[in-house]
Amino acid sequence: MAIDDTATPARASALADGVTAEVVRSAMETVCFEMATYVSRHATTPILNQSNERNATILDATGRLAALSVGVPQFMLTSTLPVRFALEFFGDEIYPGDVIVANDPYHGGGHLPDVNVFAPVFAGDELILIASIQCHHGDTGGAVAGGYNVHADDIWGEGVRYPALKIFEAGRERRDVVLLMRTNNRLPGFVGDLRSQVGAAQIGVRRLGEIVDRYGPDVVRACVDANIAETARRLREEFTAWPDGTYEADAWVDNDPVGNLDIRVHVALTVAGDHVTVDFTGSDTRPELRAWSTFGNTRGYVIAQLASLVDASIPKNEGFFDSVTLVVPEGCCLNPTVGKPVSSGTHHPGVEVGDAIALALAQIIPDRCAPQSYKLGSPRQMWGDHNPRTGRPFFDHGGELYAGWCGAVRGVDGWGAQNASFGNLVKATAEINETIFPYLLRGREYICDGGGPGQWRGLPGSRMIKQVLAPTRVNQYMVNRRHVHPGVNGGRSGTGDRCYLKVGGAPEEVIDVKVACQGVLLEPGECLVYEFGGGGGWGDALDRDPAAVLEDVWDELVSIAGARRDYGVVITGSVDAMDLALDAEATTAVRAAMRAA
Amino acid sequence: MNTYRIGVDVGGTFTDLVLARADGSVHLEKSPTTPGDQSEGVLAGLTLLADSEGTSLAELLGATAAIVHGTTTGDNTMIQMNGTPTGVICSDGFRDEMDLRRGYKEDIWDAALPQPPSIARRRVRIGVPERIDADGKVVVALDEDAIRAAAHRLRAFGVRSIAIAFLHSYLRPDHELRGAEIVREEYPDVEMVSLSHEVLPRAPEFERTSTTVVNAYVGPVISRYVRTLDRRLRDAGFAGDLLIARSNGGVCTPAAIERRAVATVGSGPTGGAVAAAAFGGPADLPDLVSVDMGGTSYDVCLIRDGRPEVKTEWNWRHRQLIQLPMVDVQSVGAGGGSIARVAGGRILVGPESAGAVPGPACYGFGGTAATVTDADAVLGRIDPTRFAAGRRRLDLDAARDALARVGAPLGLDADEAAAAVVAVIDAYMTDAVRRLLAVAGADPRELALVAFGGMGPVHATTQAAALGMRRCLVPLAASGFSALGLLLADHVVDETRSYLAPWKEVDLAELTAVADRLDADASAELADAGVAEARIERRWFLNLVFPGQTFDVAIPLERAAGRPVSATALHGAVDEFHRRNAEARLIESRSEEPLVRGLRLVAVGRTDHPALAPPSAPLPGELGPRSSDARRRVHVAGSWVDAAVVDAAVVVPGGAPVVGPALIELPFSTLLLRPGDIATATRAGALLVDVGP
Repeated sequence: MAIDDTATPARASALADGVTAEVVRSAMETVCFEMATYVSRHATTPILNQSNERNATILDATGRLAALSVGVPQFMLTSTLPVRFALEFFGDEIYPGDVIVANDPYHGGGHLPDVNVFAPVFAGDELILIASIQCHHGDTGGAVAGGYNVHADDIWGEGVRYPALKIFEAGRERRDVVLLMRTNNRLPGFVGDLRSQVGAAQIGVRRLGEIVDRYGPDVVRACVDANIAETARRLREEFTAWPDGTYEADAWVDNDPVGNLDIRVHVALTVAGDHVTVDFTGSDTRPELRAWSTFGNTRGYVIAQLASLVDASIPKNEGFFDSVTLVVPEGCCLNPTVGKPVSSGTHHPGVEVGDAIALALAQIIPDRCAPQSYKLGSPRQMWGDHNPRTGRPFFDHGGELYAGWCGAVRGVDGWGAQNASFGNLVKATAEINETIFPYLLRGREYICDGGGPGQWRGLPGSRMIKQVLAPTRVNQYMVNRRHVHPGVNGGRSGTGDRCYLKVGGAPEEVIDVKVACQGVLLEPGECLVYEFGGGGGWGDALDRDPAAVLEDVWDELVSIAGARRDYGVVITGSVDAMDLALDAEATTAVRAAMRAA
Repeated sequence: MNTYRIGVDVGGTFTDLVLARADGSVHLEKSPTTPGDQSEGVLAGLTLLADSEGTSLAELLGATAAIVHGTTTGDNTMIQMNGTPTGVICSDGFRDEMDLRRGYKEDIWDAALPQPPSIARRRVRIGVPERIDADGKVVVALDEDAIRAAAHRLRAFGVRSIAIAFLHSYLRPDHELRGAEIVREEYPDVEMVSLSHEVLPRAPEFERTSTTVVNAYVGPVISRYVRTLDRRLRDAGFAGDLLIARSNGGVCTPAAIERRAVATVGSGPTGGAVAAAAFGGPADLPDLVSVDMGGTSYDVCLIRDGRPEVKTEWNWRHRQLIQLPMVDVQSVGAGGGSIARVAGGRILVGPESAGAVPGPACYGFGGTAATVTDADAVLGRIDPTRFAAGRRRLDLDAARDALARVGAPLGLDADEAAAAVVAVIDAYMTDAVRRLLAVAGADPRELALVAFGGMGPVHATTQAAALGMRRCLVPLAASGFSALGLLLADHVVDETRSYLAPWKEVDLAELTAVADRLDADASAELADAGVAEARIERRWFLNLVFPGQTFDVAIPLERAAGRPVSATALHGAVDEFHRRNAEARLIESRSEEPLVRGLRLVAVGRTDHPALAPPSAPLPGELGPRSSDARRRVHVAGSWVDAAVVDAAVVVPGGAPVVGPALIELPFSTLLLRPGDIATATRAGALLVDVGP
């Protein structure tokens, strides 16, 4: 790159800071993109090669995050701790050409399906950078296929743990390690997918090596430092603008998969000048829970939520972590003691971490506050022994499209299918799925009055109707029935989740799933009806522009009754008669009465 | 006496024209674009061409065999969202597909990203009872009364164009066809009824619905424009063929546009890629990266084996999905007008652009922001006295002032700030190329660079060196390259039909029937365009995926003309699919078997191409030719040097090479050679640079 070498030394250094740091930042994010894309091109599992759930990061020699790229924010941000453990464990036994695999929740990871693969970049015999790529795999060994054994008593029941394993040492693949990993996984494509990660890490090493060669290790280190410092500076600038004080909030999970109710996530978030402390003391500590989010997982969700609350253009790196102190008492549901099962806890109470932070900060910076959460429970599984189309068993992991849990922010109603942080996950379609699985999708439209009322409205959830054409069994763990995706700044929750099984059977004996179900049999012709919950609203619904409510009524996102009940807006006529009209006078009166109440 | 072929490419600021004469020679012209009705600027440009040929417009047009036109009418309609009011009739339960977007959002970090403007709001998206299953069987009969009611309701809402998209209609179009009949009965003056199985006869539903809805929205506008242009040309004496560029890199007739106008959306940057591929041939460079650097954007395209890469899936334009094959041009906001600023101790450049007005500070139109063009001017890379063929004189002092303001917070003077701005924009552009190549799995070191657009040649050698490319091709017609590309484009019909089955259960008779229908449609379109059978080349592909994957992979399929698809060909395609996976994806065994998703035909009907030769262009005003010993102080590869300045006209094939550091002045652009770069002229109207280290 052309750098003006005629400048004076002092100026040259300024130039290196201002220009080279930006050039190196852009180059490193490009390397992340190249690594992630390599996995997309080379993996066989759909979630890796097409849904974009592959998360590439670059770290420095001490395991600090230097850059990241495409993926899912929560997961990209969990990639640093496993690397740090490996650096500490191997010490000076890390060599050029090594590639290391790690997935253990108790050595920095999130849950067992998320496998980190990373490799060192050396200049001479000096470690400079780490290229890392994390992906979600479809099986983890253990008692139950699919990597989500939500009924496991402990982590060992969920699958095989790899705290740090050299799959390549000094440039040679370790056949014993590959054999070990292949042996402990049900999926024939597992090793292929793993190798796509290895290849991605190796490409990352080569490209980062070129960057180190071009600028020299000292300049690259200086650039990483400068970029981290710059991110930290911009974050501190944002934090400084927040009023000092301690802000508390609770978020709740309805229940864990075995029915322990009301799991509490409590946060006390303290702003002191340019620093933020996030303290989860007071969160649930019941030892019998089956809902545990590891420290690494909790940490990732904290930073992902904070990142969504500040200027989206701030480069994502260790500077985010540097400006935040985390207090997560060991033994609480957000930092379990070694051995607790974590497969469902990664999601719940993992995502409620984001809810709690958004609610705490909504007290001072409500404008951008929208919980970047999802109320999935665990991925729904539908399977059967005989698919009439193929004559073989089938297994549907539930990656289909639906709308749910997308909150409003100031100025923007909830829209689309899910919140922004999941915008990279491209969902499966009816027409393709119907060629693979024996069912008919009868609909997936928004639910009228489903969005959380507010000055800006949450996204309505959607009603998915799946009619099975062959005997099909269902596993479903549910949340978001009683503690529903929260509104912000006076905005209210939308509708909650519901799951009805055996709808339309003869005789019709509908099962309303309340906590979880396992292996419920649907006969051909019967339906699963899943109502996904709405997103929370933002601000007081009585402040919503009545004209916007009228538009929503035209669009059947809000009913005439809902307009009056939730927004205090009086609308006459009907959509069918094409004569909807706003009664401004009545609206003023109704709103005044509602405000007074 | 049909002597001429004329390419007309409408850009944001200028309408570029290329005239190809019977002897193969070409002439470049530029005329201001008229945004309200682009055909006015087209006619004005044609008048300029007539002047330069010393004839009248009527005589020029009377002697013109074909006018090949690239229009941005569709893109402008999408940018301004002023298309025809559109409604949707769909299967009951699926009226929200356009809003759900399969879950996709453009920015995972920005919770406040607004929803894209809606083409058809929910009130004008109506589900009607009907259902066809994945085998093409009717599960629920079409409710004709519901269609009638929908037509009336849409009309009452002011809808003038209706998209009908039913599930699995690509397998069985009956319901859509009957629906269209009823809609026309009930609403006879509806402007357009766009049927999903005609616009995109393939799964899945979101892609097909979205493409159909965009077609319904822009179709009437584009059709009106093409009819207007056609009439104006005929009135002015034109009797030849009017051909329109599509986003698939080919051209088609106005009749084909009437059927599916959405195929022109995104066609703007394709001409340059087509021309780049054509220029690679004679230089024996079939594998290329083409880069088009203009005022606001940097468009990158990979060309392999002499063909621009075409992306058939997941093409988003204007925040809407258009699932048609498109030349895969990736665009980043980097151009001559990109504005530099300082934030947090670092220099950032773009994507905001000063545009043509007020433009860079050095234009003297009142712009005060420092742009890349200002930086290049300060660094001596652009001749301030001969910019835009001498039609514009650059104000260097204004450029220096603007750059000094940018550099001040970092302690940089104007020269240093200029070097910094150029270093940053070069890095962004290099990374854009790397990203495109990563997706394609291509290694830049095995490719050559083709650079064009007004600013492309200025940055070309720096780009090539940063990417490890050894060769760089710069056409003399760099500034009018997209228009030239229109004359080099062929008729292209690139169509896919769904056929869904595990590959072992493929019924070859059924697959052959699908292929025959596909071939019949393509052949009819090419015959309508007057393409002789002998000029048509057909390439067949089988779309395969592993179970559960989202995006198809098109694998070449052997098929002899008019013969059934053979079992051998099917096995061959599946073997090739496995071979590619084994090679690239390290899969050890055939542990999973693929599904067939569809059949793709690319039928290419060759047009008459002009010779690739140095173009003529307007003379540089009253400025005479440059003196043979001209030199300029230029900042290149990190230092100031005294460089020779050479007119491209004096660099001739077989003549002495130009050795860097040097500046070669092209019509409307400048090629910068770094120390160690060596340029020679090719016989095909280009300069070929051996890029130094």
